[in-house]
Amino acid sequence: MWPFDAVDWLTLSIPFAYLTILIGSLAVFSNLYRKRKAAKAASLEPWFPPHIQRNVYLSLLHMENPKVPDSILKAALLRRATEDIHRIVQIREAKQAMQVLLQRGSVGDDLWQRFQRAEKEIEEELRDVVNEANAFAPNWGQVIFQSASEMAQNQRIRDRLSDILSTAPAEKEWWEKRKAEIQSNFMKELDDDEKKKADAAASKPSAKAGSDDDAVIVESGGPAEKAAKGKKKKGKH
Amino acid sequence: MSSTDYNYDEQGQFFPYFVITVTALVTVPVTISWLRPSKELESTASRIESNFKPEHADLIEGQRKKQKRRERRLKRALVSVGGWLVICWMAYLMAVTARTIPKIWDPYDVLGVSRSATEKQIKSHYRKLSVMLHPDKAREDPAKNITKETINDHWVEVTKAFKALTDEEIRNNYLQYGHPDGKQSFSIGIALPKWIVTEGHGKYVLLMYALALGVLLPYTVGRWWYGIQRITREKILVASAGKLFREYDNDHTDGAVVGVLSSGEEFNEVLNGHKADNGLSKLEQKVLADGTSLSGVLAKKERQKLDDLDESRRRKVLTLLWAYLGRIELDDENLNDEKYEVAPVALRLNEAYTAIALAYSNTKAVLSAYHTSQNLIQAMRPGASPLEQLPHFTPTVAAAAEAEKSRTHMSIQEFMRIPAEKRKARVVAPGFLSASQFEDAMTVASQLPVLHVERAFFKVVGERFVTPSSLVQFVLKCRFIPPGATNVPAVKSSDLEDIDPEEGDVAAITGRKDDKSGEKPIQPPLAHAPYFARNHAPRWHVFLADSKQGKIAVPPFSFSTFDKPIIDETGKPTFNVQTMKMQFGAPPQAGSYTFVMHMICDSYVGMDTKMEVTLKVEEASKAVEMGEEDEISEPDEDTIAGQMRTLKSGGVSRSSKPRKRVAQDDESSGSDTEGDVESESETDTETDTDEE
Repeated sequence: MWPFDAVDWLTLSIPFAYLTILIGSLAVFSNLYRKRKAAKAASLEPWFPPHIQRNVYLSLLHMENPKVPDSILKAALLRRATEDIHRIVQIREAKQAMQVLLQRGSVGDDLWQRFQRAEKEIEEELRDVVNEANAFAPNWGQVIFQSASEMAQNQRIRDRLSDILSTAPAEKEWWEKRKAEIQSNFMKELDDDEKKKADAAASKPSAKAGSDDDAVIVESGGPAEKAAKGKKKKGKH
Repeated sequence: MSSTDYNYDEQGQFFPYFVITVTALVTVPVTISWLRPSKELESTASRIESNFKPEHADLIEGQRKKQKRRERRLKRALVSVGGWLVICWMAYLMAVTARTIPKIWDPYDVLGVSRSATEKQIKSHYRKLSVMLHPDKAREDPAKNITKETINDHWVEVTKAFKALTDEEIRNNYLQYGHPDGKQSFSIGIALPKWIVTEGHGKYVLLMYALALGVLLPYTVGRWWYGIQRITREKILVASAGKLFREYDNDHTDGAVVGVLSSGEEFNEVLNGHKADNGLSKLEQKVLADGTSLSGVLAKKERQKLDDLDESRRRKVLTLLWAYLGRIELDDENLNDEKYEVAPVALRLNEAYTAIALAYSNTKAVLSAYHTSQNLIQAMRPGASPLEQLPHFTPTVAAAAEAEKSRTHMSIQEFMRIPAEKRKARVVAPGFLSASQFEDAMTVASQLPVLHVERAFFKVVGERFVTPSSLVQFVLKCRFIPPGATNVPAVKSSDLEDIDPEEGDVAAITGRKDDKSGEKPIQPPLAHAPYFARNHAPRWHVFLADSKQGKIAVPPFSFSTFDKPIIDETGKPTFNVQTMKMQFGAPPQAGSYTFVMHMICDSYVGMDTKMEVTLKVEEASKAVEMGEEDEISEPDEDTIAGQMRTLKSGGVSRSSKPRKRVAQDDESSGSDTEGDVESESETDTETDTDEE
């Protein structure tokens, strides 16, 4: 056969082998790279911890025997909305800071991805809560978050108040101690004074000068000094 | 490749040149960067003299040495030494290898005349030579090995050379091409030894190429790229930055920030492998025991946080940090060493945390971050007495020094203001300090750089008012007054004014010339931080906060160098007035804005300054009141209409400017907060108007 005899198969195989290796390696690389990227994206830590209130609500909702009364379900839904309020506030506060930091290169892209995912998740969550609320009572969905945010606010204020109040015993204790200290110091001073006086009185006959009274008189000074001294001494004896 | 065009370097005479060039291209820059002294603040500043040696000074010193070893540029040293060796070797080869270029017969050389000689000179020279060298004249000298034959040969040469040079054509050829036959064909050589391309070696060369381009290049580029990707702007790992951001909270106190910092991934390098939980239980016992200096400080929340941590590594890191901050003796060489090792890492993380707090621009969080930096550098637990920064001052000594039993602490400055005798009586007692220890503490205290604000005001360069949306300068005039300094001179009022730069000096106006390129900026001494295992240059952060909203209005400017000497040659403080400036855009609406100015030193506790400053923004119309008549119908020069007008009128619009200045001179009230005006801007404008 003409064409096949004339072909040097070995030499021809070389370019084909080259192409196969090149394309094959590129394909393998891209495949692995994509898989790894996808795995990495999937393994990103969620922004928020598990949503306990939502889980509680859903388990209550799906309880069949006995059925959970509506009032409890509503309360659970409100709790869930309160938690959502906490989360949305956190997301909103973080968003601007996050953008600034990302622009400056102070945080990585991973964090931004996690953040965006959390943002989307919370949007879905809010919509879900609104729908659930509307299912309980028409138009409740429009006000449920208002009540929830009031609850959240209330909770926050209470936490802060209890924080402040919890420092009271320690402060009180410290002040009591301080007061006792001051008192004892004062008493000691008084005692000391009296003791000194007693000492002074006891040592008066021997010592001419040194008593408090003398000092005061000396300070007032003047020509009357000697007379006064004499008078005093006389009076005391 | 035909061998007729290119010849390889078979004798190996050009190859060294090639190698030397390539090596020098790499070696010289590497050597320069290796030998150049580091310009970092930490390596150029002076130190605060102190004889104080803290407990475990050897461990802290060991940590410092470890860091130095890390910073030693070993790779660069190896590369440059290797490079110079190669260069030397090549130079040696060049010297040894004989040049094989055949020497071209040069008639000028033979005759001994210069190339610039004219024909006449050549002829006369030839005649002179003929007298000496002609075989009839020259003498044989057997002693010098000159025989009849050599004389003959030489004379023939000389004659030949003379003939060649007297021939016009040949001489010109010499002068132009260096060859008697005119232009020579030139050959291109490749400075590679031939063995590289000879049969059989080719594949190895190809292999080298493949390795260099296919493996080495991608590897280096990849390493560089991923290295950059892993590190944030604050030089911490991206993963750590993410964790810090997640744990950030506006309401964090100083203590809580320490807890946040322990989440950094950097600690994995410090506590790798089995170190992660070695001695954890012992450590926790020591730190959490009642009666340590920490027991009052570790609030319930912080303790709770410590208990909640599951990961043993993080738990250990946090406990070590608390042990460091509480200066707790751990009775274990390794644990103590680790205690000193975690602090610098935490400080680096704290910088990133500060950046995050600044992005939220929440005053309280930023202050907590800065205070944590102070605490980490001084090894002080949050809420400790600032006096514990002084050597030998333990909590009990500090309490005795404070004497007044209040719940707030006394700063070092306040303590040093107490008369010396009284001060000494408080702390020098058996059980407290000895006299020499007290002396140590006092020498350190009197060297601390405390920045004291003398005046703070707002101004706009070259204007009398702060107009809406103008570029405002916040000028701070400060002095370094060490604690306990006596006879501090009064401030000269001329020092407190800020002189405007020349009108034409654009660089100075825009603030680019602030560093005064010619002068070396003055640095305060390194922070006195005996427990911190790094050298740290103190920095002062100044920012303006809005007290009503608790937000930062003007982000911090950091100052680490100053324009005037802080101490003179004898080590005495000079009390020079330092100028610090920060620029920002004024608010777009007129009115008076009150800010709280915070000035915080990142290295010392209890030296923060906080004061209220008011920025008065006047209506723009007030500044141009008098010039209005000219200004009113005239479009701005920036707009198209303005430009058209300028083109038409040929620059007439410029004439309105000097008028405006005159108008300004007539204004009487000042622009800055304290109501006084920079006389300099006034003089500037006056000279201008005179010229017009």
